[in-house]
Amino acid sequence: MNAPSPALVAPRPERLRLVGQRRQMLAVMHQRLMFGMLVYAGIVGLIAVRILWLAAFGDHAGRKEGLTSLVPDRGDIVDREGQPLARTIDAWTIAVHPRKIIGDRLEIARRLAELMPERTEEQYFALLRSNKPFFYLRRRASPGLVEAVNALGEPGLAIEREPDRLYPQTSLASHVLGFTDIDGHGAAGVERAFDKYLSDPATRGKPLQLSISSRIQQALEHELGDALTTFSAIGAAGVVMDVHTGEVLAMTSLPSINPNTPGQGTPEAHFNRATLGVFELGSTFKPFTVAMAMDSDVIKSVGQIYNCPHAFPVYGHVIHDTHPMGRPCTVAEIMMESSNIGTAQIADQLGTARQKAWLKKMGFLDKVEIELRERGRALNPGSRWGPFETMTIGFGQGIAVAPLQLAMGYATLFDGGVYHPPTILKRGPDNPLPAGRRVFSEDTSYRMRALLRLVVTKGTGKKADAPGYRIGGKTGTAQKLINGRYSQTVNITSFAGVFPMDDPRYVIVVMLDEPKATKDTYGFTTAGWNVAPVVSRTVGRIAPMLGVAPNMNREPNMGEVMPFVHETKE
Amino acid sequence: MSGRSFHSLFMVASCAGAALGCYLVSLRVASERAALEAVETKIVLAQRDLRVLQTEIGTRGRLAQLERWNVKVLALSAPGANQFLDGGFALAKLTRPDQKVDFQAPVVLASAPAPAPKAAPIGAPDTDEAGAPTAQSPRALIHEASLKTETREVPVKPVAEMPQTTVAKSTDRPVTAAKPVTKKSADKPGLAAAKTIEKKSVDKPLTIAAKPVTKPVRLAKNDPLAPLSEQHSHSTSKDPSPAR
Repeated sequence: MNAPSPALVAPRPERLRLVGQRRQMLAVMHQRLMFGMLVYAGIVGLIAVRILWLAAFGDHAGRKEGLTSLVPDRGDIVDREGQPLARTIDAWTIAVHPRKIIGDRLEIARRLAELMPERTEEQYFALLRSNKPFFYLRRRASPGLVEAVNALGEPGLAIEREPDRLYPQTSLASHVLGFTDIDGHGAAGVERAFDKYLSDPATRGKPLQLSISSRIQQALEHELGDALTTFSAIGAAGVVMDVHTGEVLAMTSLPSINPNTPGQGTPEAHFNRATLGVFELGSTFKPFTVAMAMDSDVIKSVGQIYNCPHAFPVYGHVIHDTHPMGRPCTVAEIMMESSNIGTAQIADQLGTARQKAWLKKMGFLDKVEIELRERGRALNPGSRWGPFETMTIGFGQGIAVAPLQLAMGYATLFDGGVYHPPTILKRGPDNPLPAGRRVFSEDTSYRMRALLRLVVTKGTGKKADAPGYRIGGKTGTAQKLINGRYSQTVNITSFAGVFPMDDPRYVIVVMLDEPKATKDTYGFTTAGWNVAPVVSRTVGRIAPMLGVAPNMNREPNMGEVMPFVHETKE
Repeated sequence: MSGRSFHSLFMVASCAGAALGCYLVSLRVASERAALEAVETKIVLAQRDLRVLQTEIGTRGRLAQLERWNVKVLALSAPGANQFLDGGFALAKLTRPDQKVDFQAPVVLASAPAPAPKAAPIGAPDTDEAGAPTAQSPRALIHEASLKTETREVPVKPVAEMPQTTVAKSTDRPVTAAKPVTKKSADKPGLAAAKTIEKKSVDKPLTIAAKPVTKPVRLAKNDPLAPLSEQHSHSTSKDPSPAR
């Protein structure tokens, strides 16, 4: 107890003041210290909590994200059976950073010219000496070349992997698939139409399934390609479609491109004749005219008689027939012999207003409905649509539609008269079948079966018949419009067929642009000689794949039309 | 120093220990998870390799290439409509050509009615029930089948001599009879077929008569040792008789 008690020693006022100040200072210091400690403890606590949190729920340092799931850089495209049609692979690229080169540039240029002879030694040397920071030497290089370039040991040569679009089936269905540009974005076809789906990280993991069947596509392309070369045509198009669902099973346009090297194709080859091209398809239109007339009660029976002279002068023009009958003929015979004169009269009875309304209902006055962006707009006479144009449209001249549209029309006619928009995607949970809209009555649809089968069994389409598969259809030979005048020698031939006719399931439309006559066709260039055999061969190949069993004993009800066919002439 | 002053220290130590324990568990879990992820990564890499290989195979075996090979070399074509069958029945119809044997059968069919009456008494007790006629006919047919082989080679006699007991052994006889016949024909090429047939017909009844009568008698009478030697002697004695 040696501390002086405040009572004994009189406090000096300055000292008292000092003690008071010190206390105050101490209090402030304590406060500050406490604050600092709290902050420190808070930070430490935060870190500790974070560490504990990470330990309990966090990822560890070695985790490699992205590899736990295989999501390609761009979605796959597969056909209806799941076969890949387009895939993204890691391709090798060889590039060069001229500034980073440390070796002898001349020597490197010499070696590069040996390995990649598309440029000369001088060009390589100029590139290596240039001041550019970077350029590609080769994209999509083969592994052997990559190995050889790597063996040069030059750090300025960059060998990298980059995603690249590969089409394993090369030119198969090239116009449907389209291709991608150098940045990996769709530039045509499905690649362009579904670019968002294919490149979106959320959806690209799931392949895009098309309604195309590669085997059917191959059969169609091969047979059509054969005809293209045989008849020296400048182009061809073909469509196979499911009548009931509107799925496009095969669609081709020739000449085609190889989407792996799209730059090499000519503009002609890039043109999609099946959806973008519109053509006057001629007599393949006649069944629609007859069906319209049946539904409008203009034709009450296929035995209805029309006058079919050798030539039919009307509205200042003369209509001719390729198979002139020169006698009264029934509706069945008009279809069988593909009579323009007869059909023109039916169309005339139908009238312009009703014809327009029907064509509108069938979608022949608008763009073809399909997911692809390459869609052509159908052409029609527009304001000049008078009674004569009604007649010509009746037999397929004066209206231009895409082959896919024609297939769609036949699908409508034979699906009980119900229109379903065509689709390039497989029908399923993601692409359900929409409710169709009725165009023709079911009765008309049924009665047309026998009429079209008659064309193949006895009429102009005999060569389209494939025994047992009950093909029904209509040939079409249209004169091509060249410089505003219809050519007498240059044709577009087409065939629109449906099989099996006793219970229609598939439509096939085939078209040849400017086929030439050959020895085997005896100088004819009409559809019955060049495209009809294509249909026969194609259906013979694809029908078993589609599950259509051949049956020689089944036919549509031919009793409806046979009594009205005049056969004694032959 | 009392334990109370260390109380806080113990608390801190135990807390630290518990925390360390928890951390170790967590570390273990993390390492397991890392191992799992390494496996998952391996799987994904393998899948990627699979994809690359599948793509390569698909590209090399693309349809256009197969078609080219087919056009140039294989020349396969789509099956025609007549190459499809409706089902099992149509498929079975394709095996018709095997029935060529039936050309010899008419002889057999002619003799078929003969055993029918024999079968009738066997079938007779079965006819008590309602479906009697249907039950009879298949049985009768079965008996005919076994008789056919007899009638083909031995026209009349066996039926007449041995009514029912020889039926089972009838299959053995033609075999024993056939071998000597071929030998004969080889020895005497000039002889007509008719003679050999006559001899056959002579031989067979002999053997037919011998076998059923002798066998049961000898087996029953003699000792187990004795018949062996006798059987051998008999078999040798039997052989010359068809050889004659």
